[in-house]
Amino acid sequence: MTLFHFGNCFALAYFPYFITYKCSGLSEYNAFWRCVQAGATYLFVQLCKMLFLATFFPTWEGGAGVYDFVGEFMKATVDMADLLGLHLVMSRNAGKGEYKIMVAAMGWATAELVMSRCIPLWVGARGIEFDWKYIQMSFDSNISLVHYIAMAAVVWMFTRYDLPKSFRLPVTVLLGLCVYKAFLMELFVHVFLLGSWTALLVKAVLTGAISLCSLFLFITLVHSN
Amino acid sequence: MFEEASEVFDNMFKSSFPLTLTFIVFLPAVLILVSPLPAEAAHEFTVYRMQQYDLQGQNYGSRNAILNTEARTVEAEVLSRRCVMMRLADFSYEKYQKALRQSAGAVVIILPKNMSTMPQDIVQQFMELEPELLATETIVPVYFAMEDDELLSIYTQTQVSSSSQGSSSAAEVLLHSATANGFQMVTSGAQSKAVSDWAITSLEGRLAGVGGEDLPTIVVVAHYDSFGVAPWLSYGADSNGSGVAVLLELARLFSRLYSHKRTQAGYNLLFFLSGGGKFNYQGTKRWLEDNLDHTESSLLQDNVAFVLCLDTLGNGDGLHLHVSKPPKEGSPQHALLKELQMVVSEQYPDVKFSMVHKKINLADDTLAWEHERFGIRRLPAFTLSHLESHRSAARNSIMDMRPHVDLKKLSRNTKLIAEALARVIYNLTEKQVQEEQLASLVDWLTTQPRAAQLVDKDSTVVSTLEYYLGRYLKDVKRHFVRADKRDPEFVFYDQLKQTMNAYRVKPAIFDLLLALCIAAYLGVVYLAVQVRGHSHYAHYAQILMPGSDYMFFSFMVVTVRLGNEVHALIFKRWRWDGRPAYVSQNTTSSSRPSLIRTCEGRFPESDIILKQLKTQSLLTAAHLTLDSHGAGWHGNVYTKWFTTCHFGSDYL
Repeated sequence: MTLFHFGNCFALAYFPYFITYKCSGLSEYNAFWRCVQAGATYLFVQLCKMLFLATFFPTWEGGAGVYDFVGEFMKATVDMADLLGLHLVMSRNAGKGEYKIMVAAMGWATAELVMSRCIPLWVGARGIEFDWKYIQMSFDSNISLVHYIAMAAVVWMFTRYDLPKSFRLPVTVLLGLCVYKAFLMELFVHVFLLGSWTALLVKAVLTGAISLCSLFLFITLVHSN
Repeated sequence: MFEEASEVFDNMFKSSFPLTLTFIVFLPAVLILVSPLPAEAAHEFTVYRMQQYDLQGQNYGSRNAILNTEARTVEAEVLSRRCVMMRLADFSYEKYQKALRQSAGAVVIILPKNMSTMPQDIVQQFMELEPELLATETIVPVYFAMEDDELLSIYTQTQVSSSSQGSSSAAEVLLHSATANGFQMVTSGAQSKAVSDWAITSLEGRLAGVGGEDLPTIVVVAHYDSFGVAPWLSYGADSNGSGVAVLLELARLFSRLYSHKRTQAGYNLLFFLSGGGKFNYQGTKRWLEDNLDHTESSLLQDNVAFVLCLDTLGNGDGLHLHVSKPPKEGSPQHALLKELQMVVSEQYPDVKFSMVHKKINLADDTLAWEHERFGIRRLPAFTLSHLESHRSAARNSIMDMRPHVDLKKLSRNTKLIAEALARVIYNLTEKQVQEEQLASLVDWLTTQPRAAQLVDKDSTVVSTLEYYLGRYLKDVKRHFVRADKRDPEFVFYDQLKQTMNAYRVKPAIFDLLLALCIAAYLGVVYLAVQVRGHSHYAHYAQILMPGSDYMFFSFMVVTVRLGNEVHALIFKRWRWDGRPAYVSQNTTSSSRPSLIRTCEGRFPESDIILKQLKTQSLLTAAHLTLDSHGAGWHGNVYTKWFTTCHFGSDYL
């Protein structure tokens, strides 16, 4: 549509990141370069994932419209590398737990935003054609910020030595949910033939549930110490 | 030393940070800005532009090809600089004129996919409008498109948004603007320009008779080009596909007769397929000039019995012989007329045959019938047609498609003409008109538009016609007409077929609404993050007890040297309230720091902590682990920033 529309989408996609960065106090730790480092780690991990996928997962040329359940599941499994990457980022940053989590999640999510949404937004939202998908994409980036914060928190909890035994199972389940969330979403959309708005809503609800669970666990864990 | 170097570097970085940001953010943005926008349209369809040509210095048709405007239907109040879409079913000259009067940006007329399903009166009405659309030159581009489901849905959506304007309240319009889709119509091609040096091709072939030097010649002529309001839609089935088909069939029949010595007659037969017939018979004109003025010997110069022009023979129950001068008794012309009358009355009593006499009007811009070209050059000529008048709209219409030719009538007419011709040439009647042959000819002729602008000398139409003539006739030749460079008699223009894209767009008000919604959403996000921060850190403030977990806050110490005394000002910024709650301390280097003034923070936690700090005297340097972040003397002011200060039980 217009540059104005692009501005709208851009504001919708980026400002929550900015607000989070400012209001979570990260800006006061001068955590900018730590976030950039986390972003660089994101890039590295994605590169590794891509190489791995390209080497070991040949393109499946099945019929159109047929959902390759096993193949997609295997691909989602490769997303485990994200967990490793987040752990790597957090282990390299000294500091308090939540500071580590926020730095890792912000850097990770922002890198993803810049890498995967910036150019489609620029090219698409500025074109003549109007499509809701750019607004949806911007909302999706907000959801993914929440997702990565929850994911980083879960990874942080998982790697703590003093994690109580009773926490081990829920944290592991949450970890699994975080990794296979995209896969589950795709499956949902495929099975129930969801529209794009419904799919976005389902994604938001799912992410909200995961993040609330992990926040609850996190607060309980911090309290108990 | 290294520490200082890093501090200096950090300082430098801090000051140049905006510059760095500019590079990181804006350089790629500028790079992408210059990249072209992609063409990803909601719907892409082919549109056919209205005729654009100059004939004898006069301009006709639409003079423009570029279109980039939003679509509307005629129902909308304001049409200026909009692309007005109309369906053929509701097309009328008044609506068209209304659009043009309001200086519309363009007109797109949507034709039904299957023209034969349209009611006859609409087709007839449109046929009659076609010459009117072309009569004057139109500044805006006029396009024709074939209807399909997508285009129909675009039309319906446009119609809904067009008709809702003005009738409803402002709130409704606002709501509507957010939900309805607008469409931006964009053509991909360039502006139309005159085609230079266009050659119109005509074809000639002959069958030579036997018996002496100075045989009389019968010329059979038909123009093969078609004409309609849009060249790419001009299939010209009846006019003049049927004439061409009849001519080709006659060529085939007589070639068989002429191939036997026994049946070879004392007449030369000259067949001529002229091009540019719809543009004042340009092909015929040049052919006559070439044959009569420029060459020494030509069949046309010697003994022409008559010239029979075939025009529009594929339908109707009448058959009319158009003459510009009634034939004299005893002339070959008269003989043919008599034979035609005889054949009609003997074999086809249901055909209404008549002779129509119309004098050549040299004052007219265009000639009425092709035979007038010959008449001007004093050659005895006439035209056979089922049309009574040359003004009939059917001769120049895009509606003139394959269904317009009734094969039975075409075949009957062919038989009739062949019969009459044969009776003139011999006195026998034994020819078999092959109806399937005619059918395939007409089918082939109507598979492609044959507007004069589209048929160049390499086109398949010409080469196939040439091949067909060559199968039966001798000395098949091409004749070319090119308009004079300085004073062109006809000028054609290009960009007659384009791809049009319909992009879904929203009005500007929609963007504004969206911006408001997004601002509201961001506000909610901001508040949510703030509240979350409070509750979260309030929790930490409460657990900050002696012996509890460590905590952070940011910290700045400004030391001012005044004479011998050094005063330190400490500014703290408590993390959990997000805004600076200043605790300034004025202290000399030797004495213990004491709190002088606290700005009342908005949050009770800060007071709690301040009290704790006071009672426990935590603000001594020994208890603080300071991650210094930057420091430096600026004149008499030494500033040191601390970003992370840990203190508490871990460090006590």
